[in-house]
Amino acid sequence: MKQIALYGKGGIGKSTTSANLSAALSLQGLDILQIGCDPKRDSTRMLMHGNFIPTVMDLVRERGDAPISLSEIVYSGFNGVRCVEAGGPEPGVGCAGRGIIATFQLLEKFGALTGDVIVYDVLGDVVCGGFAMPMREGYAQEIYLVTSGELMSLYAANNICKAIQRLSSRVKSRCRLAGVICNAKNQLHEEELVAEFARRVNSKLVQFIPRDRVVQLAELNKKTVIEYEPGSAQAEHYRVLARRIMENSNLTIPTPLEIDDLEALAVEFM
Amino acid sequence: MTLKPSQSNLCRSAGCTLTGALSVTTHVRNAVSVVHGPNGCTHHNFSLLHATSLDNDDIIVPSLVSSGLTETDIIFGGEQALDRTLDAVMGNDPDAIFVLSTCIVDTIGDDIGMVCRKERGVVVIPVPTAGFLGGSFQNGVNNALIALAGIAAPGNKTGDRNTGCDRGKILSVNIIGEKNLEYEVDGNYAEVSRLLSAIGVPVNIRFVHNLPMEQIALLGAARLNILRDPALIPVGEYLKKRFGIPYLPSFPSGISSTTAFLETVAGACGVECWNAVADEQVLQDTTLAEFADLSGSTVSFENIHADQDCIRTVRTVAQALKVKIKKTGCRVPLPTTPPVGVSGVRRMLHRWRCTIHA
Repeated sequence: MKQIALYGKGGIGKSTTSANLSAALSLQGLDILQIGCDPKRDSTRMLMHGNFIPTVMDLVRERGDAPISLSEIVYSGFNGVRCVEAGGPEPGVGCAGRGIIATFQLLEKFGALTGDVIVYDVLGDVVCGGFAMPMREGYAQEIYLVTSGELMSLYAANNICKAIQRLSSRVKSRCRLAGVICNAKNQLHEEELVAEFARRVNSKLVQFIPRDRVVQLAELNKKTVIEYEPGSAQAEHYRVLARRIMENSNLTIPTPLEIDDLEALAVEFM
Repeated sequence: MTLKPSQSNLCRSAGCTLTGALSVTTHVRNAVSVVHGPNGCTHHNFSLLHATSLDNDDIIVPSLVSSGLTETDIIFGGEQALDRTLDAVMGNDPDAIFVLSTCIVDTIGDDIGMVCRKERGVVVIPVPTAGFLGGSFQNGVNNALIALAGIAAPGNKTGDRNTGCDRGKILSVNIIGEKNLEYEVDGNYAEVSRLLSAIGVPVNIRFVHNLPMEQIALLGAARLNILRDPALIPVGEYLKKRFGIPYLPSFPSGISSTTAFLETVAGACGVECWNAVADEQVLQDTTLAEFADLSGSTVSFENIHADQDCIRTVRTVAQALKVKIKKTGCRVPLPTTPPVGVSGVRRMLHRWRCTIHA
């Protein structure tokens, strides 16, 4: 079983990338489980044809101590991709990080973490220990950074490198940086910039996904691009990404940049 | 992370902020202290307060209620659990409710003040007591006293510029911040009370020791606040600002300080004290004479709990009695804080006598 996690700045397209990746992987005949680890709960929506599935935390909130069954938290989406949303508290209260930890404990208890590939789609910033949960021992070994060429997005990706570096120094930790995915904003020299960033943090650009209107059209039709327009160039980008991820064995301990170096890098490719 | 650095050299008596605050709030009669956190925080403190009061020959069942937070409350926020707990507590018709925070609720950022502001027909007072923010037991005591003092309406500040004595206030003093968990709490109060009687100054209120809620409104009426010890100076300052009442930073430490105590209190309250001081000097001398049999003996002060003020005070007593202090001497028991006045020293010397003549 392969477990991968996608991290990156909020709004950068992690959920779109994850959903299309899961869809593409499932079309290779693989059994896929996608887990949305964000209180926003919209990671799996396009796989579920626009439906917000009940989250693990919703059920915990409603049921209290009453038992919850596996069938109530795992939903079958496009091409049999199994979908789970962790959910969390209302914005501004409680502790979303603890919610992620509780979700993982429940999924473990149910033995739900099975399949050929598990895709964890995680909140933008690793703001506390809870959001580093998918990187811990026994969960995702391969971390992919989703970023555009924008400085703030690279900054977030660089921060996540710090988290991976810290966690990978722990005894028994198998968490590694597996690569960088550029979800482009159509900036000038964007691919070169992100590729150079990847190289400097001791990794590789795995796939460049250009900006394409079909993504918005697919979303408006509540589908992944893979399902909505399988013949499009964009769908092919996702399928290539899926293949490269399955073949990828380049797992590294990242070397995060200092902020000055990061800024200088962005200036180089202006 | 040094926003609220924890002191690294705290001795074990520095304790938990929550426990310090509870040692105050549980001494308000017919009030309930709600500990907003997991059950364990309440259970642990209930046991401690109950056992300590038993030890002090005082059977108090501290009125504590937990909001009983579980993991679900931590994830989704504990404010609703607190609200439900406060509603339930209202069923017991308390005169006041104190809401004390714990480490976990301050970590997840529950807005306790907001829940406490909801109209319930009884005063609900939040007291910040999360221990991990670096506070000690004493911070808890101070936070609770300041929160409680906030209930009493601020008083005027028309003190006499020359003497500091405010004749607009009632001839009386407040006793501030008694150590409700110390074994000698009543004995120490009795000593201060004896001295005050000698100059005809009554105690207004004991803030806070077995205090009826309605008496808190009287807090601003006294002419002087007598703090139990200097750790309460922040409270003394707060009360001075709020009510215009000056403070004396400590109960009298050791035997010789009782005369100075009389003079200071008398001055602040605007009464004469010559006769009382003369009588007190006689009492100091006769008390030391009672222990003349200890003269010439050698003692050692090896007590990890005693603070430096205590050692200093006790050293003076030993010198007055011509008791020698050496590491090899007879190891005599010391109180954790300086013995209060003549009677505090007498109780200590009785214990020394038992040890030396054992």
